[in-house]
Amino acid sequence: MSLLELNNIAKSFDGLFAVRDLSIGFEAGTTTALIGPNGAGKTTLFNIISGLLPPDTGTILFKGENLLGKKPWEIAEAGIGRLFQDIRIFGQMTAEENVMSAFPDQEGELVWKTLFGRRRMQRQEQMLSEKTKDLLEFVGLESKIHEPAMELSYGQQKLLAIARLLASDAELLLLDEPTAGVNPAMISELIDLIKKLPDQGKTILVIEHNMNVVLDISDWVYFVDDGQVVSFGLPNDVLDDPEIRRAYVGV
Amino acid sequence: MNYLFHILVMINIYIILALSLNLLVGYTGLLSLCHAALYGIGAYITTLLLIHTGLGFLPSLLMAMVGTALISLIVSIPSTRLYGDYFVLATLGFQIIIFAVLYNWISVTRGPYGIPGIPRPAIFGLIFNSVPAYFLFSGILAGLCAWLLYLIKTSPFGRALKTIREDETAAAAFGKNIPRLKNTAFAISAGFAAVSGALFAGYMQYIDPTSFTVMESVLILSILIIGGTGNLKGPVIGAVVMLLLPEILRFLGMPDSIAANMRQIIYGLVLIILLRYKQEGLAGVYRFQ
Amino acid sequence: MQLFIQLMMNGIVMGCLYALIALGFAFVYNTTRIFHIAHGALYVAGVYLFYTFYNVLEVPLVVSILITLPILALIGGFLDWSVHQPLDRENSSLLVHLLSSLGIYIVIVNLIAMIYGNETKIIFPGIQKTFQFGGIILTSIQLLTAVVFLIVFAGILLLLHKTDLGKKIRAMRDDPELLSVLGVNTHGLRLIVFSLGAVLAGIASILTGMDVGMDPHIGFSAVLNGAVAVIIGGVGFFEGAAAGGFIIGLLQSLIIWQTSARWEEAGTFLLLIIFLLWRPQGLFSSGQRAEEVTV
Repeated sequence: MSLLELNNIAKSFDGLFAVRDLSIGFEAGTTTALIGPNGAGKTTLFNIISGLLPPDTGTILFKGENLLGKKPWEIAEAGIGRLFQDIRIFGQMTAEENVMSAFPDQEGELVWKTLFGRRRMQRQEQMLSEKTKDLLEFVGLESKIHEPAMELSYGQQKLLAIARLLASDAELLLLDEPTAGVNPAMISELIDLIKKLPDQGKTILVIEHNMNVVLDISDWVYFVDDGQVVSFGLPNDVLDDPEIRRAYVGV
Repeated sequence: MNYLFHILVMINIYIILALSLNLLVGYTGLLSLCHAALYGIGAYITTLLLIHTGLGFLPSLLMAMVGTALISLIVSIPSTRLYGDYFVLATLGFQIIIFAVLYNWISVTRGPYGIPGIPRPAIFGLIFNSVPAYFLFSGILAGLCAWLLYLIKTSPFGRALKTIREDETAAAAFGKNIPRLKNTAFAISAGFAAVSGALFAGYMQYIDPTSFTVMESVLILSILIIGGTGNLKGPVIGAVVMLLLPEILRFLGMPDSIAANMRQIIYGLVLIILLRYKQEGLAGVYRFQ
Repeated sequence: MQLFIQLMMNGIVMGCLYALIALGFAFVYNTTRIFHIAHGALYVAGVYLFYTFYNVLEVPLVVSILITLPILALIGGFLDWSVHQPLDRENSSLLVHLLSSLGIYIVIVNLIAMIYGNETKIIFPGIQKTFQFGGIILTSIQLLTAVVFLIVFAGILLLLHKTDLGKKIRAMRDDPELLSVLGVNTHGLRLIVFSLGAVLAGIASILTGMDVGMDPHIGFSAVLNGAVAVIIGGVGFFEGAAAGGFIIGLLQSLIIWQTSARWEEAGTFLLLIIFLLWRPQGLFSSGQRAEEVTV
């Protein structure tokens, strides 16, 4: 059974179609890439899946459950996490706070537990603090743990965003251009990181423009143009297609 | 000497107001202009309970906290759906509406005639009658409120509020229930504003709506911005500075007639300058970008 | 019935004043999205400047007006140049602009209060001439207000729709970035809209001052009423701002007719809140929603 299934999604803004009639699906444990020219509707699709934008038509099934009409935080709780194209880390909070904020089911987020039942909350905070240190080590940011996120470099902020995403313990990770703007040395680090994720039980849907990355990490590729799926298949097959190569400079 | 204690009592009252508004402005990023109205509701509920029922000060205070928090939900639930200036305008609207209710609902609040004869607090037989005693009493309450707010602000709840302030979209995508968090913060800040209201009523022993106008909301907000938001020090320093400034002016020999206006001019200029050059204010940490 | 019509007429005259204030506010808000609370201070400054020339220095009436308005325009432009444009260079958020505008308001109003005192001042002492129209009484100032409004409004419509400047102002409302990319001097344009806004505030306050006098603190509710009018009429839509002004004027008259207490401001803001929740784009525009999850 597929983990995520989108059928006939359409979304227009003021009469202009961002997404026309898009259907995609994939199974748990796989890495699927969405490629295609800018403005093809890929980020809009991510926003729809995350619940930030309602589609005009279409259905979204996640583990068999209908996601339509759910609020973004409900979708996050269901197990879908997001790496934003424009990063969106919490600038005036430290790296540690950024990661800690993302853990699910935090007792202390209920105010009365802050005042009554402090001991349990503090124990949980302690445990999450340990996990945070591990995650920051995993992405190589342990030295920046108490730095305000806005003082990190672009690449470091991206890594922080990934650590934050991992903290959310989401099953399905929506990665929007994870390697964009990252220097080549760090790209290979990122790729290694992403390739380890399916082993941890994660499923990945990634938007990428870097074809080498796509070839390296994905099991399946969707080529999306003008709001629709134009081609689907194994990475090599899709990318070897002369039509696609012509429409999409970059390989 | 009594005058010094008088200032200190007022400082205590404003510290609680500033720290509670800080939860909204500095932690959640919500610029609310109705804090004076909530302060007023707290004062009126406490007063009415003290005068018309046999309840003592502390029970009245607690009920006022709960009552004000609940009433604040009427403001927050519709308003927190709005963004940017529209949220500010909505809170401003509620400030004006609540003031009009306090002013016009004469059968309950006695409107502009005010309610006199409010007794000084009596706790377990101790009556805090003198001004120095009231300073002690208000200081204890201010300390308690500051501590409770500190616990809340440094908790995961406080951290979740900060994520809303930083990037609401990302916060939502990471599981934060935005309306629940915003409304809860609003209610908590209202509950603490009510403490200030109760303290004010018990101290002045007379209240009327003119203490709870839009301009009062602006003053409390100015205290926050000048002192700085996002931490504990900023609002406290803001309250101290803003309340001591008129006394300093008087000390410098400025006649009372223009002192009030001069004070406001200084507040306004400091506000403009800080917003341009030092958004974290005198002692705060959060910058409004 | 007669009382009702009388109150409605008063409401329409009030509406003229609110429309003028709203239009002034809209010039700045529609184009820059700055919540120009200082507009209220300019409103107060306008009438006090006029008072200084006319009542204190005994300059003739028309000359007083002709000196006051350009000074106001300069002050308006100065506010943008000295406070808002520098903030923009630092990429400040709109809330910072709002708070700075509030600071400006506090400074200007208290300066005026310090110089002139907090009491109400009168420009025309004594009772005004009145005119009767079939049982309805209107004072000369009320008539003057209506006439001035019509002339000014016609002028604004002409400016916005028939001149090059007007085209640029409307373009700035729609897409300020595009405009600067196209080489239009947006800084100059901003100074102009701030100045125009100030002049409109001054016209409204001088008319009000001539009618009932003034005190330094009338500016806050003036600017708030103006802002509410702009939102009800539809942000971005200048004619809507004027319409919003009339709606508020009539609403307040209705409230006065039905209640004897001071509920007009509360009623205006209740209307605002209703609009913010159910029709944030206002009556006449199809613009942005007030509630949206940013994406």
